[in-house]
Formats: sequence, C-alpha cells, structure tokens
Amino acid sequence: MSAVATPAPSPALPQRRAPGRARLRRVLRSTPVNVVLVVVAVLWLTPTVGLLVTSFRPGQDYLSSGWWQALVHPATLNLDNYRHILSGGNIVDALVTTVLITVPATLLVVLVASLAGYGLVFLRWPGRDWVFLVLVALMVVPLQMGLIPVSLLYKHLGLFGTIPGVVLYHTAFGLPFAIFLMRNFYTGIPRDLLEAARIDGASEWTMFRRIVLPLGMPALASLAIFQFLWVWNDLLVSLVFLASAPHQPLTVTIFSQLRQFGLNIDVISTASFISMIIPLIVFFAFQRYFVRGVLAGAVK
Amino acid sequence: MASITFDHLVKRYSPGAAPAVDDMSLEIADGEFLVLVGPSGCGKTTALRCLAGLEDISDGRILIGDRPVNDLPPKDRDIAMVFQSYALYPHMSVYENMAFSIRLRRMSRADIDAKVREAARILGLEQFLERKPGALSGGQRQRVALGRAIVRDPAAFLMDEPLSNLDAKLRVQTRAEIARLHQRLGTTIVYVTHDQVEAMTMGDRIAVMNLGVLQQVGTPRDLYERPVNRFVAGFIGSPAMNFITGTVQASGESVSVKAESVELSLSGRAAAIARRVGNGAEVTVGIRPEHFDRSANAASTGVVKVPVNVDVVEFLGHDELVHASVGGTDLVALVPAQRNLQVGDALELAVADSLVQLFDPQTELTLTPDGAAAVA
Amino acid sequence: MATVPAVAEPAARPAPVSITGRGPGGGGWRRGLAVGAFMGPALLFLGAIVGYPTVATIIASFFNKTTTTFVGLDNYRTVFGTSDILVAVRNNAIWVIVFPFLVTFTGLVFAVLTERIRWATAFKAVVFMPMAISLFATGVIWRIVYETDPHRGVINSMVGTVADAINPPGSYALPNIKPISGLSQRSDGSMVSTATVHPDGTVKLGLTGISPTDIPPGATSASEPATVQGGVAGVVWRDFSPGGHVGVVDSGEKGLPAMRIDLLRGDGSTAATTASGADGRFVFRDVGSGSYRVAVAASNFRAPFGGVAWLGAQSLTPADRLGGTARTLLTVPLVDIAAIVAMLWMWGGFAMVVIGAGLAALNREVLEAAKIDGASEWQTFRHVTFPLLLPVLIVVFVTMIINVLKIFDIILSLVPESSQREANVIAVQMWNSAFTASDYGVGSALATFLFVLVVPVIVVNVRRIRG
Repeated sequence: MSAVATPAPSPALPQRRAPGRARLRRVLRSTPVNVVLVVVAVLWLTPTVGLLVTSFRPGQDYLSSGWWQALVHPATLNLDNYRHILSGGNIVDALVTTVLITVPATLLVVLVASLAGYGLVFLRWPGRDWVFLVLVALMVVPLQMGLIPVSLLYKHLGLFGTIPGVVLYHTAFGLPFAIFLMRNFYTGIPRDLLEAARIDGASEWTMFRRIVLPLGMPALASLAIFQFLWVWNDLLVSLVFLASAPHQPLTVTIFSQLRQFGLNIDVISTASFISMIIPLIVFFAFQRYFVRGVLAGAVK
Repeated sequence: MASITFDHLVKRYSPGAAPAVDDMSLEIADGEFLVLVGPSGCGKTTALRCLAGLEDISDGRILIGDRPVNDLPPKDRDIAMVFQSYALYPHMSVYENMAFSIRLRRMSRADIDAKVREAARILGLEQFLERKPGALSGGQRQRVALGRAIVRDPAAFLMDEPLSNLDAKLRVQTRAEIARLHQRLGTTIVYVTHDQVEAMTMGDRIAVMNLGVLQQVGTPRDLYERPVNRFVAGFIGSPAMNFITGTVQASGESVSVKAESVELSLSGRAAAIARRVGNGAEVTVGIRPEHFDRSANAASTGVVKVPVNVDVVEFLGHDELVHASVGGTDLVALVPAQRNLQVGDALELAVADSLVQLFDPQTELTLTPDGAAAVA
Repeated sequence: MATVPAVAEPAARPAPVSITGRGPGGGGWRRGLAVGAFMGPALLFLGAIVGYPTVATIIASFFNKTTTTFVGLDNYRTVFGTSDILVAVRNNAIWVIVFPFLVTFTGLVFAVLTERIRWATAFKAVVFMPMAISLFATGVIWRIVYETDPHRGVINSMVGTVADAINPPGSYALPNIKPISGLSQRSDGSMVSTATVHPDGTVKLGLTGISPTDIPPGATSASEPATVQGGVAGVVWRDFSPGGHVGVVDSGEKGLPAMRIDLLRGDGSTAATTASGADGRFVFRDVGSGSYRVAVAASNFRAPFGGVAWLGAQSLTPADRLGGTARTLLTVPLVDIAAIVAMLWMWGGFAMVVIGAGLAALNREVLEAAKIDGASEWQTFRHVTFPLLLPVLIVVFVTMIINVLKIFDIILSLVPESSQREANVIAVQMWNSAFTASDYGVGSALATFLFVLVVPVIVVNVRRIRG
C-alpha cells in the first residue's frame, strides 16, 4: 500500500483532546520559579534603591526614620543634597580627577595590550611561550605586591602624589589580564588573512593596523569597559599614591568623608551615588561587552 | 515491543506559525522498521522528537501500543533514542553510560551487570567498557549509543540520523549492523534520515515527508515503482528522476508530448494517460536515468525515444553517466559504458513506455490511466 | 573523457617581500625591531611596575621598616605574633571558608533557575549590576541597609516586624517603671505581690516611674478594690501623687488599664489570668482555696525589638570563654558575616553569568538522553549536569578565593570605626602597616604572605594553560 495511511481508531479509544495537560503542568512548575526570582530581583534592587532614596532626603530624616518612609511621603524628597554637594566644588573636582585617571589608564591598556597580543600571536621569537606563561602567572598577583617598591620608585622619580603615577600603575597591573584577553581573541583570527596580506607585501605594522586591530574590536570593547570600571572604582591605589595630593578621585574623597563624618549619610550617600552614575551608565549601555569580558577571563 | 500510531499529529513552534509537522497520520506495526525520510526541515526529526516526548504536541495524538502518550514524559514512554551526535555522557565510562538508565530503575547490581555485558557482547564493545567516550572513535561511540538503547529493552527504538556523522565506509558497515540488530531483537524501530539510500536499504516501509506533510508511506519498492507525486518520484532513487514538462499533442492515432524543440512520441500506458488528460494539456514526463538505454540496444516497440545532446560523460566503470540536454531541459542517463561519446554528440535514448511516469504540473500528483490521483 | 595536462612541478613561489624580512620565519634585525615595538611597552610596564616590585617586596620583607637593615624573619614573627594581625589572618580565613562556597552555590542556583524564565536577561542585568559599582560604594549602600535602629534599617525593620509579632511588646515598656508598693521585681521581668492572698482577699499593686504622658488614654481614677466572694480582687495603679501616701490609693491617682495580671499558686504555676480594667481594678472569680500571689506579667514590660547590630563585633561562636590566641582565632564576628552578604550581593551576578554560560554550553542532547533514560530533573542534575559543570564551578570558586584574599575596600567602607579592629583583613593591615605606620618591613611581609597564599592558584592556572 502506498497511499497515505488513514488511521482507524478503535471505538474504545477516547476522543482526541487538545494536549493541554502537559502545557498546564509546565506552567505550574514554572510559576514558583518565577515568584522566587521576582522576590530575589526585588531584594537585589533594594540596597541600591535605599541609597538613591537616602540621597534625596534631608540629613535629619535619615537619623529618625527609614528611607522607605520617604516613598510614602514623597514630598520630603528634594535635591538639596545634590545641589549642596555639586556646588561645593569638592565632588566635581573629584569627578574630574577620576576621569583624568580612568580614561588614560583605559586607553593605555587597550593600546599596549593589543600590541602585545599581536606580538604573542603573530610574531615568532624565542621565549615567546615562556613570556605567555609568566603573563598567566602575573594575572593573579595582587596589587599589594607592587605598592611599596613603586612608592619608593615614584618618590625617586617625582611621580609620587601625581595622577600620571596612578595611571601608570593601573596600566601595568591591568596588562596581564588585558594581554591574555587580546591574545586569546587574536588566536581566533584566521592565519590565512595575514598570510595573504604578507604576500601582498604588508608590513607588520600595516597588518596590525589594518587587519588585526579592526577585527579585534569586540575584544577591545570588552577590555575597555572592564578596565574602565575597574579603575574608576579603585580605592587602594589612589589611597596609597594620592593620600595627600591636592586632587583626589571620587573613591578617596568619599572615603575621607566617611572617615570624618561617618554619620553624615546624606552627604556620603549623595556622593556615592554620583560616583556610581557613570559606571552604571557604562554598564547598562555596554552590558553585553562587559559580560563577554568577564566570561573571557573566567572561562577559557 | 509495540506498535506506534501518529494520529493527526500537528506541531507548531509558535502560535500562528506554519506547522513543522502538519496533520501527520501514520501507523507503524509492532516490530516494523520504519524509516522517516525527507530533506532538511521536512519535519521528520520533529515528528520523532514528539514521539520521544522531547517536544510538546500542538494537536493530535501519539499512541504507543494502545496508550495515548501525549501527556507522558519521555521516561514513561518505554522508548530508547539514539541521537545523531550520540549524546553519550562524556564524564562516564562506556559501562556507566550503558548502565545509567537501568541503574535509575534500581535493578540489582548483578542484573545490571548482566544486561550491560550482554549488550556489549552483541555490539563488540567488551574491551572498551572502562574507556570514556572521548577515547573512542566515531564508530565505537555510535555502538555505545546503540548499546545504551539496547540495554533498556524498550518498546521501540528511535534513531535520529545515527549514521550522518560517520565516514562513507563506516556508514555502509554500520547500516548492515543496525539491520542485523533489528533482525535479532525484533523491536520496532523508527529511523529518521535524509539519505534515501539508507531509507531504501534499511526500511521495511518508508514514510516520505516534505515541508511537514507526509507524502507517501510504503515499501521501498512501492515508492520506487509507484510514487504518488512528483516529490516522492524525484526524492527516491539516485541519480534523481528526470522531469520534462511539455504539452500533450493528441491527434487520432499518435500521442506525443511537445517540449520546446523536441517531441516525445508516447505509446502504451503513457499514451493512455496522455490521451486522458487531453490534447493541449500540460504534463510533466518523468523518466529515471537508469531506465534509459541507447536506442540502438533497446527494443523497437513499446519504447519512448528521446533524442538528446551530450554535454558531459562520466565514466563509472561498468556504466556511464551521460549528462545531456533535450530541448531546454537537462537530463541524466545511466547506460552501459561504451566509451564512444563526445561532447556535443547527438544521441538517441530509449525507455520502455511502461516505465514512463506522468505528472500534473499544477498539483504535482502522479497521473494514472483511470484518473485516480492517488495510486492504490 | 577530457585529457588532463600533465601535472608540472608547481613553480617556486617567490619569497614574499615585506619590510620586516621574510615573514615570521625570516629574520634579521628588522624582526627584532618589530618584536621590540610590539612587546616593548608591555614588557616595560610589566617589568618595572609588576615584576621587579614583586621581587623587591619579597626581599623587603626580610628587612626593617625603612628597608635598610636585614632582619631575617623578624617581620614574619611580628605578623604571626601580633594579635591585631592574627585577627586579620583569622578574618581572611573566615572569608575564604565561607564566601566562595556561598557565592558559587548562589550563582549555580540562579543560573539553573533563570533557564526557566522568559525574562532571564532582565533578571541577570539586575543581579549583575552591582559589579559596576565600586566596592566602596557597596559598603556605603550596605551601611544603610544594616542600620541597627529598626526604624531606620531595612533588615532590622523587617526582622523587627516579625519579632514583634512573635513577642509583642508590652504597652508598658517604659525605661523607668518600677514597683513601689505591694510588689517586688522579679528577675524574669515580672512583678509579684509581696504578700500572699487567699480567696475573698484583695491586693493593691502600686507602680511608679510612669510619666503622665505614658499613661494610656482611657485610664480612669483608681479606687480601692472591692472584695469578691470566693475570688481575689485587686487594683494596679500609679501610686504617685504629690502629697499622697505610698500604698494608699489617693484620689487623683490613675489606674493602669490593660495590664496582664496572673494569679500564681503557691508552687508558682499560673492558676488564672486576667486584665485590669480602665480603673486598674481586676478580679479573679471562683478561685479554689489556698494561698496565692498576684503577678504583673513580664509581657507588660517587654521592650520592642531593638535591632541587631549587624555591623558589630559580636562573635557568633562562643569563643569569649577562651582566652588568648585561641580566642582570637576562633571568634567569628557578626560584622564579617554582614560583609560577606554585601560581597555576595556584589559577586553573585558574576557567578551566575559565568555558570550560566557554562550551562548554555552543555550539549542539549546529552541532557535529553538522560531524560529519555528515565532520569528525573534532580537525577539529571546530579548525575549529568553537575559533573559536567564542575570545571566552570571550580573556575568561579578559585576566582572568588583570590578576590577574597585581597579584600580591602569594603572593609574600610562598610565596617564602622568601632568594629574595624575585629574586622581587620590582611590587605587593610598591610596598608596600615606600610603607609600609615610607615613600617615597610612588616608591610612587605604581609604583602608577601598574601602572595604566598595565591601561589597555588598561579601554579594551577599555569599548568592548565600548558597542558
């Protein structure tokens, strides 16, 4: 028989019904998960919301009632804290300083790491593999290891207490991970592209500029964002090198405020939130790249 | 061991989208080896996964034995599956891979051991029991996947293109092994493939699918000799059937089909069909490459002659594959090798008129002398 | 069949011309220049600021505070001998033991659960977001969360709501309230009549230390209790008025309504309970014969929830009973746990994202095979998913160990001055020693100690890349 077989259901079988039961079971199973995760998400947002609301409240309100009260009485919220702090000049100066540290540190790392990544993948030279292994080892070395000798070195060179000093330090300690990231990405670039370019007579620099660098943009973006956030949020290095400097970044400024006026949560919360805005914007705008950077570092 | 029934199965991946499986009804007998074949995206794998319980059904039912299994999770359906990528547990040894399912059923350790070793023996895996899948070759991994299924002793085996990842030689070998296995165990097998050679050589019956719709179900011979539509005719058989579309010229005694610059004179059954559809009607003529012979060597009556222009000739040893053109259409003929053809030669081919198929160009159904669209 | 021309030897390809010579295999000083140009800046940075200083720090750890005199192991003796520093070591140990497990577990749970919901991207963004914030700001944020006063701190407010529901505060939770006549204070917070009473008897229970504003509205003037046949009657009132007598219900003195009064038998068990009326009077009817005391229940005075000092140095272990080093090493200050939770808030998203990627990379068909083999959700997870995820879990785990060993910012921002000593960690101690106390020797020793702790990870990483 070659016809399309038509079934002859025996009368004993029940009428066919829409297969809803399996779907219902699935919905029921996923509801508790959804509820749990919604609760978790709310819990996760609460601390940040708390900070935000506190920053809009007058200082004495903080001392008498919880920030959630302000949600019920929105009239108590105002921008006074922000006005006060932004006009004071302190925070704005700190903001500028932070930018002056973070942007160069990010650009330098991106530049040096992409060059070094190229050198590790597309050039062959004795000791290359050893250098890579040393790099992997250096990724784990804590910042603390360099602070004392470099402080002494900077004092010698007159870099202590200067912004360039901090920039160089961040660049150096950001390099191991950065080079690792770029190197891994570059190994994924097909060699044939470069062979073809070489036959066409391109120099190493041309190949780097015209082929590898453009192709490596996604990794560079991830790296840039990663480094940006890391340097922007750093406290230790700035604390060591800029403790007595005339211009300090946000983290150090807020830290000294905390030390001095631990109870002035209104000022501190406002300053903290201001310091968070840019990283948060960067994070949300480039989330995908940031996640990719994290994954690239963590998983091979 | 059980029969399997698809009862108007419909599977849609999102509401409003075209169904991946469209109203499929099929009965598979207990112990049968049924092959689901079709091009990529035809719905065969989807149908298999619905049967396995890995996909939810949008409408219709599936029965295993007499039970509707729509709402049952895979583990309660008593089926075993062999995946295209074998899907072996990479962190477990071959023994553990095969023992996994029955360990979950809490069989005694002695029973488990006996079953695993028996399956290993059947498949020649005894010396690999301690190895991990990573240390095995493709063919060996495939056998472990089979072993994992055998150990379950299920009502049916479901196989999803198990040979696709093997090289040609291994494929031929393993094809025979699976066929042997079926003979030995007698379990119902539902086998999915896109390769019509596998379908023809392995199946008791073949079900051809295209775009979610079941085209035809039948024995290999049925599908070869009596395809129900142009799709099946073109899908089964390699090289594929040749199709020439033209207009019927029926006047008095002679019947022919005129296609561009060539006119094919029909006789016998083919002529009867052409006469039925009438003068001026469009038909598609279908002829299998292997049914051609050189006119000179063919019979003188009861044949349809086809004059062609030779393009390329591929020497195969015993035969030649002649790529030619007739009118504006390309054509392939498989004829005994004589090695005397050149590019551009004119050649006259002949085919027995009983082997000529005609199709309706609109509906694509095979035409018959008595007008029934579906061939009995 | 077309004839194929005879295959000729492929013509030798001319050597590619490039400025640096014949490609990577080629050589000469041009290649050296290229290598120098590409690798030079990186090697310079790394050598000058990372490589050399690391070695220098290790060496400096054997020298004195100004790095002039060799002192051998003295600095290390100081490190392991000073109590403050031992505290730091202990705290880092607590962090290392608790945090990586907690974070990895949380990340795993989130990664698994988010597979089942449609809004996974939004959820992940919310949970991952704290990574963008500085650790320092995190500390500030969580200081606000951990406020002790239940009126101001989110956590204590919620805990307080529950605590007060279970143990409702009494209406007379006043700081100065005390018995003055006919009552004596008990250690369990209740007040008991000084005299015993028998059926047909009365008691007068006078309290003071209640400011007029604290008297509940609706309280009326108290009066002497009237005897009740077969029962015990009494009055509880504010026994204070200018010119009045103690122990006497003077006019103008108000009764204390809604007080829970217990009738206690001789053995102390409660025979009956009642509440005082608006005038402070109460009656126990039909008490059996015997001698009784009357008590003002402790629940009347129970204070509302005062808030847990999450950021305090209170130890979770009973190590206070020990002394010396054992005590230092075994204390687990509450603030450590509070900080760990804040850190979890920050890093949970990281673990979730990395483990989520690991989950997504698993071969779907292997999991389906398990389903067909008959494994339930849990069995599939336990036997298939989890073992296959183990490498990723280990990566997360190890990364967290390193992060936790270096922990610095959050301790400075989250922990208030009062708890800083107990919450000290190695990195903070190092900063203090080196840059506040200017003892470069001890500072270097601490940094080196930190380095030694991470060396095992370095070894593992390098091995992994090589092999």
